[in-house]
Amino acid sequence: MLEINNLVKYRGTQEILSGISFKARPGRVTGFLGPNGAGKSSTLRILLGLDRATSGSALVNGMPFAELHNPLVTIGAALDGSGAHRRRTGRAHLRWMARAAGLSSSRVEEVLEIVGLTKAADKRVGNYSLGMGKRLGMAAALLGDPQILVLDEPVNGLDPEGIRFIRTFLRERAESGNTVLLSSHLIGELAETVDDVVIIKHGKIVADGTLEEVIGNHSNLEEAFFARTSAHAGDAV
Amino acid sequence: MSVPSSKKITLILGAELDKLVTLPWTWLTLIGTFIINLLLAAAFTSVGLQGAAGTQSILNIGLASMGYLQAGFLILGILAACSEYTGGQIRTTLTTIPWRGFQLSMKLLALAVITIPAAFIIAASGVLYTFIRMRDTAVGFEINTMIEALAGATGYLTLTALLSAAMGALLRRTTPALVILLGYYFVVSPLTKDFLPGLKKYFPDTVGNYMYMPPSPDEINVLTPLQGTGILMLWTLIFIIVAIVFYRRRDA
Repeated sequence: MLEINNLVKYRGTQEILSGISFKARPGRVTGFLGPNGAGKSSTLRILLGLDRATSGSALVNGMPFAELHNPLVTIGAALDGSGAHRRRTGRAHLRWMARAAGLSSSRVEEVLEIVGLTKAADKRVGNYSLGMGKRLGMAAALLGDPQILVLDEPVNGLDPEGIRFIRTFLRERAESGNTVLLSSHLIGELAETVDDVVIIKHGKIVADGTLEEVIGNHSNLEEAFFARTSAHAGDAV
Repeated sequence: MSVPSSKKITLILGAELDKLVTLPWTWLTLIGTFIINLLLAAAFTSVGLQGAAGTQSILNIGLASMGYLQAGFLILGILAACSEYTGGQIRTTLTTIPWRGFQLSMKLLALAVITIPAAFIIAASGVLYTFIRMRDTAVGFEINTMIEALAGATGYLTLTALLSAAMGALLRRTTPALVILLGYYFVVSPLTKDFLPGLKKYFPDTVGNYMYMPPSPDEINVLTPLQGTGILMLWTLIFIIVAIVFYRRRDA
């Protein structure tokens, strides 16, 4: 379970997040949607302990990220890019992570196989395509076989095959009881994947509910999204 | 965070060592430093061979390249710290090891584990080369003196690498860190050596010289190797503490 409670974040004098709250529950894929610059990545960075909140809290299974005993086996995260040094190989990147978490080298080979990077594992990350970098980020997120996945723009830059892989994979994870939170600005690509939807605009939550609740009277999620995020959109659901 | 267990220390130290040894720049820097040091040792030895027989000190000539050799260890420290900020690796590091002070401490320890043998081998290679070339012409020396000088040189280069890694962690970007540290060690410090003569010997670059250079009878108010070591350790510790405080407080 992921809980965001009254999160406020200032950068300088600019308010990035204005007291947002929502939850991502086990067994569900929660889509965290919003236009570029709405505050999605800032929220995820605070949740993952990368940035400090000005006030409020972001909890993973009831505790702040930094208090987790072994984060990699509790929550896997893939933010933008590969998250790896360009001069290191994909395999070496996953191996240092595995070592830090006390995981075996065979688990590295397993996740490389899952994301289809086994053949490219000894290439330097700087030579990877955008899609391969994404796959490496996904492999890193899956390394500890965590109950919770947090993915920032997971389908951005992927080819149709990659998008299909992510969709199927995330559905399977959620159906086996795991929590999945993913952010995206590509609404159409995620409509078939998410169970719950949280929409953020200018650092405020403007919609939060099940997919059906958020779509409401609109013809699809995309219409509902634009209705909520356009300049004259109304209040939150 | 509670006190880390010995198992956690082993795991995180191992991970930080893995990071360093799988970074090609680590090896390129060390190998480059080794080769350049040998070339410098050869040059200083050739000059030494021109001097009068029986007046040249093998240790002084073998360690004459230390002033340049430290550049390699400054670069190594900066690369170790700033490489975290290439390709967004810092995000992976902190989502894997979110205990920031502990993680940075383990990174510095891993850097020391690599630097100590590398510094010893590189410094000793220069002295060995000089010994081979000048053993018949130079003045003899006690083996204990040589071991003390090499231990001091190793300590100096290791502390220099740690200090520059702390500076790299503060600045987070390789180029500014390189410009500031190399600029200080090779431009600002030599140009200002006549200013503040009483205090200058306590600065991190000059105080380290006392760790490996035998005291000159001409110099007054010199520091002993132990004092030099203590003061440089203090400098390094101050930089590390400041780096950890900032690292813990700011957004990644």
